[in-house]
Amino acid sequence: MKYSGYILLAIVWLALPFVLERHAIDLLVFCGFYAVAGAGVGFLLGQGGIVNLGQAAFYGLGAYSSAYCTVQLGLPAPVGILTGVVVSLCLAFLIGRPILRLSGYFLALATLALGIICSNLFYEAEFITGGTLGIPGVPKLSVLGFALDTPTKFYFLIWPVAVLCVLSMRSLMSSRIGLAMQAMRDAPEAAMVLAIDISRLKLWMFLISSVLGSVAGSLFAHYVGFVNVDSFGVERSIFFLLVPVIGGAASPAGVLVGALFVGLVPEALSVLGDIHRVLFGLALVATVVFFPDGLIGLLKRLADTCIPARRQALKMEQSR
Amino acid sequence: MSMMLLAQACATGITNGLIYALVGLGMAVIFKGSRLINAMHGELAVVGAATAVYCVEIAMWPTWLAVTMGMLIAMVLSTLVDIGLVRRLFNRNAREESFLLLTVGLGFTFSAAVLYVFGREEHLLPAFGDEIYEVAGAIIREQTIWIVGIAAFILIGLKLFYKYTDFGLAMMAASIDPDGAATTGINVRLMRTATFALGGLMAAVAGLLVTPMIGVSYQMGPILTLKGFAAAVLGGLTNPLGALVGGITIGLLESLSIVYISSGLKDAVALSVLIVIMILVPDGILGRSGRKGG
Amino acid sequence: MTSAPLLELSEVGKNFGGFAALKAVSFTVPTGGITGLMGPNGSGKTTLFNIISGFIAPSNGTVAYRGKAIGHQSVQERSLDGLVRTFQTPKVFERLTVVENVMTGAYKKTRSGLMAGLLNTPASRREIDATREAALATCRKFDLGAVAGKQASLLPAGQRRLLELARAYQGDPQLLLLDEPSSGLTTTEIEAMTDKLRLIASEGITILIVSHDMDLMGIAENIHVLDFGRIICSGSMAEVQENTAVREAYLGV
Repeated sequence: MKYSGYILLAIVWLALPFVLERHAIDLLVFCGFYAVAGAGVGFLLGQGGIVNLGQAAFYGLGAYSSAYCTVQLGLPAPVGILTGVVVSLCLAFLIGRPILRLSGYFLALATLALGIICSNLFYEAEFITGGTLGIPGVPKLSVLGFALDTPTKFYFLIWPVAVLCVLSMRSLMSSRIGLAMQAMRDAPEAAMVLAIDISRLKLWMFLISSVLGSVAGSLFAHYVGFVNVDSFGVERSIFFLLVPVIGGAASPAGVLVGALFVGLVPEALSVLGDIHRVLFGLALVATVVFFPDGLIGLLKRLADTCIPARRQALKMEQSR
Repeated sequence: MSMMLLAQACATGITNGLIYALVGLGMAVIFKGSRLINAMHGELAVVGAATAVYCVEIAMWPTWLAVTMGMLIAMVLSTLVDIGLVRRLFNRNAREESFLLLTVGLGFTFSAAVLYVFGREEHLLPAFGDEIYEVAGAIIREQTIWIVGIAAFILIGLKLFYKYTDFGLAMMAASIDPDGAATTGINVRLMRTATFALGGLMAAVAGLLVTPMIGVSYQMGPILTLKGFAAAVLGGLTNPLGALVGGITIGLLESLSIVYISSGLKDAVALSVLIVIMILVPDGILGRSGRKGG
Repeated sequence: MTSAPLLELSEVGKNFGGFAALKAVSFTVPTGGITGLMGPNGSGKTTLFNIISGFIAPSNGTVAYRGKAIGHQSVQERSLDGLVRTFQTPKVFERLTVVENVMTGAYKKTRSGLMAGLLNTPASRREIDATREAALATCRKFDLGAVAGKQASLLPAGQRRLLELARAYQGDPQLLLLDEPSSGLTTTEIEAMTDKLRLIASEGITILIVSHDMDLMGIAENIHVLDFGRIICSGSMAEVQENTAVREAYLGV
């Protein structure tokens, strides 16, 4: 009974590729990239209160590492992905240590600056990134000799990866380190008194976020087969931030909902022409102002009021 | 030749720097009055400039009227944002990140609106004057003189406003100690709204001044915000003179890096400096009034 | 005084700009029992607490804990050595539940790392379950058993103070620094708080209380009175109340 909702979701998820047309599945794959990269940003935001406006930098590092290693060096795909992760970890470590001493607005704008600097460097480092021309011909991924050469096949890779990320974040949140991270977010001085090493935990969070960004970028490169600078600008970082904001950063599952929103809604609105960006922006503003817990908070509230069993449970909870 | 290049780079750097300083001043005004960093400031500048362009090019209005309209629209927009949205977040005691996300979202919306109305092209406003001067081998356009004059005017005006007018003092008091200010009869909410109106006006002025030189396009908001913020932070965030010095520093660094490094890396250089300054000199290069203090 | 002092301050001073918040403060806290530090608002109590717990460095003088100078140690290092404080306005972790708050108190006693948490290893799960059980026991001890599953932001002031105390207790402190533990509490709540403090002290934990609450100070065996950044009197409650300097400066008699 308890898991019926999840089972239903799983069935829908399995059935979708057989019902939808190719373009729709393609969009869902992109939602998966948003979910993975957004999970990192969401973890920083929800559990650390840190606004990261530079995730596209790590997304780009992952994508370029994979593209360069496979196309220019002829290395196997896992080496490229791993290279991306290592490069991202190094950058996150080097830049994270100093900037994480900042807080609030200052930290957020430092990450935005980091994003713009990296996007500039992607333009300039033509010998690696191919500049505006980019790197074409990134090979398709294959898992156990099974080539992921259609959107449907990739769909069955990226979503389990995204769900795995979310589960992992969830497990972390209820662990010793996760509790300490949340403690640090709510009252840093009190956390210090309990011997919680704040700067180390913040750095760890930033490293986790950068790895997720990089992996998403690598998978993106293999899926699209072509990377160029246009994919790694400020706007991309903002979209990654929107994933947890719209979905709800407090709960790790929020990024899945947020990713679907960010990936699908602009597309759905695009039939209205260029005005769709304005509407999308307004939707974001409305979420921040009216639904601080995001869509997942809204869904929970709806479930609490609409489903009789949950309403009952809630009443019991309150009367205790 | 090289000397002339250097002189020209300095002249350009100072001109751009003054624009960043004006953007930064606007952000500092809003920070002073509300303790918020307005991440949509660059977009407000774009909206102001785009409105003026629209009035000149499509409605065929005279320039002075179009410019006034641009300032008015940005001011009204900024005021409405405070009354309609910021106030709501204050009422619910929202955390800092919510305010940031709100202004980031609004910035995105504004830039999307400008894209919708104008498309992707850059648009120029007619310059305030067409004279060209030569100083130490550098070509200086009349527009630059205007920018210097207006920046100086605003700087002195702000200084006097905060120091000598009751309204300015009340605005500062309302942000530094809201409860204390309220007990002395200051309407804290009204003061914050006034702050946003003033900030919006200043954003528009910066946008209008830059448009005759580099043109306005929907996507220049974030970079303008960041450089303005860099200028403000360099100056210690609450110190108007600091923002001026900070802006010119950023502008010079940028144009010198075009000459000596690469034009594609000018933003990277300026923003790296921003990050380094925030970490090493949190109180700004002029020291004194800390970034958190009044 | 029979045993060696647990905490010893000698000639501790602190200047903020030109203002001397503390001028050459010296006193000791013996091992075991409850020591009080009294003084009117602005007398420098909180500054002193910030110095002892490591949030700010003194301008001059030394702080010795267990016989060793600890001036170079961070807040965290002091906490690992058993020196734990609370705050004047209780700093609870608002978005965690009450029991989770108490669990974080045991952070330094537990070992699971980042990877264990990410991978949800059995060892990590076992440890966190044990931590939770222990924390629940502490919650009951501090009358928080009924609200253990509640989000901390929903607690009233009295329970917040108890929660902060329980959380500090969970980290096995040797010296517990309590900043105004009774402020904002009702009379019955103060009684409950006093009971808990006696209980903690009876387990061999040394307590240093900062307060200007005379009633609460009744439980302290030894009291130091601070005024205008210096100690003006030390002794038992009766001795302090007799002291003319205290009467003039503090009681305003």
